[in-house]
Amino acid sequence: MADIPKPGSDSFVRFLAAWALVHETADEGWKGAIERGREQAPGEMDAGPEAFVDGLSAMVAAEKERMKSELSTGPGDIAPGSAGDLGGKLDELRFEVAEVRGKLESMQAALDALAKRDSTS
Amino acid sequence: MSRSRHIAATLARAGWRGTTDARLGLVGASASRAAFARRTREAFEELGPAFIKLGQLLSVRPDVVPPEWVFEMESLRDSVPSAPPEAIRAVIAEDFGATVEELFESWDDAPIASASIAQVHRAILRRRYRPVVGEELAAGAELAVKVVRPGVERGIAADIEVARSSVTRLPRLPGMARIDMPALLAEFTSTLRSECDMRNEAAVADRFAFDFRDDELIVVPRVVWPLTSRRVLTMEFIEGWPLSEISDAQRAGVDGYALALHGATTFMRQVLVAGRFHADLHPANLLVTPEGRIAYLDFGIIGTTTPAQRDAIAQILVATVYGDADRALTYSAELGLVVGPDRRGRVRERVAALMRDTLAVEPRDIRGFAIGFLGIMADEKVDIPVGYGLLIKALVTVEGVARALYPEIDITVAAKPFVTEFVAARMLSPQRMYEKLPAAMNAALRELTR
Repeated sequence: MADIPKPGSDSFVRFLAAWALVHETADEGWKGAIERGREQAPGEMDAGPEAFVDGLSAMVAAEKERMKSELSTGPGDIAPGSAGDLGGKLDELRFEVAEVRGKLESMQAALDALAKRDSTS
Repeated sequence: MSRSRHIAATLARAGWRGTTDARLGLVGASASRAAFARRTREAFEELGPAFIKLGQLLSVRPDVVPPEWVFEMESLRDSVPSAPPEAIRAVIAEDFGATVEELFESWDDAPIASASIAQVHRAILRRRYRPVVGEELAAGAELAVKVVRPGVERGIAADIEVARSSVTRLPRLPGMARIDMPALLAEFTSTLRSECDMRNEAAVADRFAFDFRDDELIVVPRVVWPLTSRRVLTMEFIEGWPLSEISDAQRAGVDGYALALHGATTFMRQVLVAGRFHADLHPANLLVTPEGRIAYLDFGIIGTTTPAQRDAIAQILVATVYGDADRALTYSAELGLVVGPDRRGRVRERVAALMRDTLAVEPRDIRGFAIGFLGIMADEKVDIPVGYGLLIKALVTVEGVARALYPEIDITVAAKPFVTEFVAARMLSPQRMYEKLPAAMNAALRELTR
């Protein structure tokens, strides 16, 4: 199956996964939720809010396993105020500047056209 | 016959044929609505650009017309004979004060596409250009130049004016009683004005490209702003197969399943993360490139969502993928879909039954669910808010597009992990925890002291 891009809140599931990693001795309720979440088959519906909790538990457990294998490869998330976070803000600002440049270029073309028409009339 | 008489006669004929098809209403409410919708769609096609645009507007407005109309109008054929080359050249000369030979390295007078508002020509870029988003376009790059057809705005405005009196009869047709025709026509005029200004579409394309700059599977054509004006939009030409020709792409080794899944997830990112979504997806607006990427074209209709709406939408999607009718109705109310207390129990039962029929069996049928849901709301006289309707329509379209890429795709496979994580993060955010802490403490204390 193809990788599914993250919704932009992946740090939250990673936080829960980190908690689960540190607290390896999860209680029976949590383990049960993970199992039920893993077993949620396509087409299994109408289970209501509990199914959501089970689904989330299974996702956290899967993330925990991924974290275990990633521990040796260094930090993955960007902390607020870090270089990566700043990069995002810079990107946004650069885009806004470029957006204005694009509109100015279009306006300049319109202006040139009018000026040309004016000079020939 | 004058244009006004022709319009009135065509619409009246459609109404009569609809009445006959519906056996004077004896075939049931939904079938009657479908019969009138089909005849009106045929009439709109016959009446030309203004009516085709009106039909297209209705096709993304389930809040205005019944579901049968929404899905009938999406099959409107928007194909018109192309304008003569000299007329198109004149538009460009007027907007830029130069001929196509002066502006482009080469220009093709034969259009590659021709629709009611604009037609598209191929050209070659004369000088290199640094676009707003993405890498520089080299001199000699292939371009797609979209030119608004001369006189189209005036022609459509005149038709709308003539049609105003005829169209006000629509509320008398089955399922159309709640329609506010003056408001719809005012909105139509405003939408049309925006759609005829190519600079709006160019700006949206840039923003879309920026939002998805980190996604290697998404392609948005780069805009050439110095060659873009109110009536001309110049973009990079993208090579690819339209979704309707996906079998060619599959033969070329493109992974249709992965692309379909990615397309569905990208849509959720548009709605829930970026807050802007492409609301006019159809096979002609999407290409699959030879590298196996999805190219988005035509940014004429864009939906937007506020942060509060995004939270509510995510909750509704969670409710949909986990089959939780109560949650769906609770968060639908936050989007303005309010079911009165006297009807809530009945509506809840009907929605839950619909979920079981359409979403609890494979293959899951989002389109069937959407039509059924809108039908329930129409039956129960519950008003559909504008944004809500547009979103439902867009979701159905995403499923259709994904199925064009891979017929057996279940888009809830992509939706489930995405919205689960999104909602969980929101529910346990510090802000929400702060709001809920007093109630949680009370509950905990009650439990501890029991």
